[in-house]
Amino acid sequence: MHTLNLLKAFFKVNLQMALAYRVDTLVNILLEVFTLGWELLALNIIFSNTPMLGGWNLGELVTLLGVFHLVNALMNILIWPNTEKFNRAVRDGTLDYTLLQPAGSMFLVTFSSMVIWRVWDLALGLVLMVVGVNLSGVQAGPLQLASFLLLAVTGSLILYSLWIVMIAATFWFTKFDNNVTILQALLDTGRYPSSVYPLWLRTIITFIVPIAVATTVPVQALRGELGFWQVLLFVAISAASFFLATLVWKAGIKKYSGASS
Amino acid sequence: MTQTIEASFLTKTYQVSEREGGFAAAVGGFFKRKFKDVHAVQGVSFKIEPGEVVGFLGPNGAGKTTTLKMLSGLLHPTSGQARVLGFTPWERKHDYLRAMTLVMGQRSRLSWDIPAADSFLLNQAIYRLEDAQFKQTLKELDDLLELSPLMKKPVRNLSLGERMKVELAAGLLHRPRVLFLDEPTIGLDITAQAHIREFLKEYNRRTGATVLLTSHYMADVTALCERVILIHHGRLKYDGSLNDLSHRIAPFKLIGVALGSPCPCDLSLYGTPVASDGDDEEQAGSKQYVQVPAAQAAAITARMLADLPIHDLTIEDPPIEDVIERAFAE
Amino acid sequence: MSLLNIYLRFWQVNWAEQWQYRANLLMYLFYWLVSPVVYLSVWVSIANSQGSVRGLTANDFITYYLTLLIVDQLTSEITIHLIAYNIQDGTLAGELLRPVHPIFTRAVIDNLAFKALNLMAFVPIWAVLFGLFRPDYAGVTPGSVLLALPAVVLGFALNFLMGATVTCMAFWTTRVYSVSQFINLVVILLSGQFVPLQLMPPIVQQTAQFLPFQMLRYVPIEIILNRLPLQDVWVDYAVSLAWLVILFFIFRRAWAEGTKHFSSVGA
Repeated sequence: MHTLNLLKAFFKVNLQMALAYRVDTLVNILLEVFTLGWELLALNIIFSNTPMLGGWNLGELVTLLGVFHLVNALMNILIWPNTEKFNRAVRDGTLDYTLLQPAGSMFLVTFSSMVIWRVWDLALGLVLMVVGVNLSGVQAGPLQLASFLLLAVTGSLILYSLWIVMIAATFWFTKFDNNVTILQALLDTGRYPSSVYPLWLRTIITFIVPIAVATTVPVQALRGELGFWQVLLFVAISAASFFLATLVWKAGIKKYSGASS
Repeated sequence: MTQTIEASFLTKTYQVSEREGGFAAAVGGFFKRKFKDVHAVQGVSFKIEPGEVVGFLGPNGAGKTTTLKMLSGLLHPTSGQARVLGFTPWERKHDYLRAMTLVMGQRSRLSWDIPAADSFLLNQAIYRLEDAQFKQTLKELDDLLELSPLMKKPVRNLSLGERMKVELAAGLLHRPRVLFLDEPTIGLDITAQAHIREFLKEYNRRTGATVLLTSHYMADVTALCERVILIHHGRLKYDGSLNDLSHRIAPFKLIGVALGSPCPCDLSLYGTPVASDGDDEEQAGSKQYVQVPAAQAAAITARMLADLPIHDLTIEDPPIEDVIERAFAE
Repeated sequence: MSLLNIYLRFWQVNWAEQWQYRANLLMYLFYWLVSPVVYLSVWVSIANSQGSVRGLTANDFITYYLTLLIVDQLTSEITIHLIAYNIQDGTLAGELLRPVHPIFTRAVIDNLAFKALNLMAFVPIWAVLFGLFRPDYAGVTPGSVLLALPAVVLGFALNFLMGATVTCMAFWTTRVYSVSQFINLVVILLSGQFVPLQLMPPIVQQTAQFLPFQMLRYVPIEIILNRLPLQDVWVDYAVSLAWLVILFFIFRRAWAEGTKHFSSVGA
């Protein structure tokens, strides 16, 4: 399919750019390993002082960290680099070229830049999830596992939709360079279960910038806390937010090209 | 519908917020914004046949780029209509986008860090070009532009002229039937400009593609276009053959002289003195200009060289703004 | 032109520049305060579930982290963001030709101006957090705050010198930001930014006492909260002063070597 071809082409181009900077890639991976060590050390310090955090044990926290890494991978591979590229393109006018290409502009803006070496964050996330589930002692049946994975994906889709709306805001508020800072800032809250946060913060990260929906909620499904209807609700919300995002994007493009309606 | 491009009363009006400098104005501006209408394009109409190479001429800010943006589909007009290849451009239907191209001299579409060849492959995927046809087109472009030595180098490492070549090639890989070129030779040295012009001429001859190019270099237009459209202050001032235009504007040149020592010379003996930008107080060393008919430029120059203590002398084309202002004083 | 005048001029220029980016500033502040709020929530949640953690109650954590926000604002430095790109794109050359030291004039002033600007926005934000978390600052006295002032100044000075030294890495590598990130991860643990040092493993606590990092946050916070016995305070001051001298000489050396390398290699 043509979309797949295009994805392959973007992947190749970005891979070449990464290969052009070998030393950078190596240093990056080193830093990532060190950061992981730091994250695990932090968890260790917490759990040497308590057996449970927000009702979750160490294994469940490790699983959560794995899901966090998955979300972080999405951010690092696609979201942050393409935000930069998009902001630049709006500023220097090269967005015009994107608009005149015979492919969906939202697709192009999402995938044209990829930080390839961060794919390792995906692998890391998966490993952490497996290790965490084993450590946690949770007896997860196939249904729970399936809904866990489904909600991890749909949760990330919600964050993606939010991102689209955030960068589309630039079409109306042109000087708004910090469009994604709120998302970037609140992302760290996803490392811990939303139950540890005070109500006001929990509300923000569940309903406004739904980090918790992408991190805490999937693990809740794994723990068997979510019923069928709740899982369905989250999937429906995810689909609705994606749909809304595409509407906002289309409206933004129209505004950018000076359409009066 | 035999015309490739048809514009009817295209109009584009912007609203820009106005603000004076200073702290008080800044505070005031926070509470109440003042807007001003900018009439970038006002009721421009013309028809272009397939295969024509038309030049859009006009000074900076005249409205050429805005018109081009409307025709290429980037901007919705405030009023008026346009059809290009039977499409309404600003609907940006994919079939339309596959049949046209926009190349902007001041903006690069290529990725800086990778060789042009790889950007081309990306374009192949975006435009869904079959391998065989893609290779064939690339070969033809290579013949015309001498791309081979440029393809493997990262675009960052190419000179301005080389970069323009690969930019054009990237824009032509999908064999568009309409080319919109915005200032394609801007910033290039004379040799590079000549190469680009030759290429465009040959490309038009071979493929029959319709070319609409904007420029504020008269030379671009003289080399390529039989027909020119003159835009000034958003209005269409002239639409016709280049020859006729040349006859309408009395061609003249500006001779600039820097005198070696202060002298009570009356330059009006040689032509019409033109006010210079520089310091009028300093006579020695600063350039003074006289305007003379182009045909007599050489002869007058010879006379000045013989008569005056000339330190430096140049012969220049008058700025296009002056040309148009004088020819179409309104 | 006296040194004071020079400082004043730098201040004026920098203030005007930074005022333009004030929207960015709010965003930056917002971004910066999420981590402490996250850690606060984690430890308060634990303290609430078991009454206390190693003697620290939920309120102890709240006062710690809210004070941390203030201390962090006062001791943080941004030298790398001011100077590193000047080194990388060669524009530092111009400053090296001027008869003032770029680090001890421009970098210091830019840091202070940034701080002043931040504090203006920070105060209302802190007030909101105060209202949301309702700390009980019973232990704090005017005396304890006064006693902490030299600690804060020392903390900034130490931080500044360390940041300036790391910035010197830019003379040799393009990966200076990664080096900074790397070091930052260590500092977060050893300065008490992640968690009060009492909760760290014993060996870490003992090591931290001999390192300059604890003066960046932990010591000033504990002094303000009146939780450090006076003799510990003097010991900490002494250790930090020693580090101040050591770091000063390290920085001087790094800068000298770096500028030499810079001038010989070019931009």
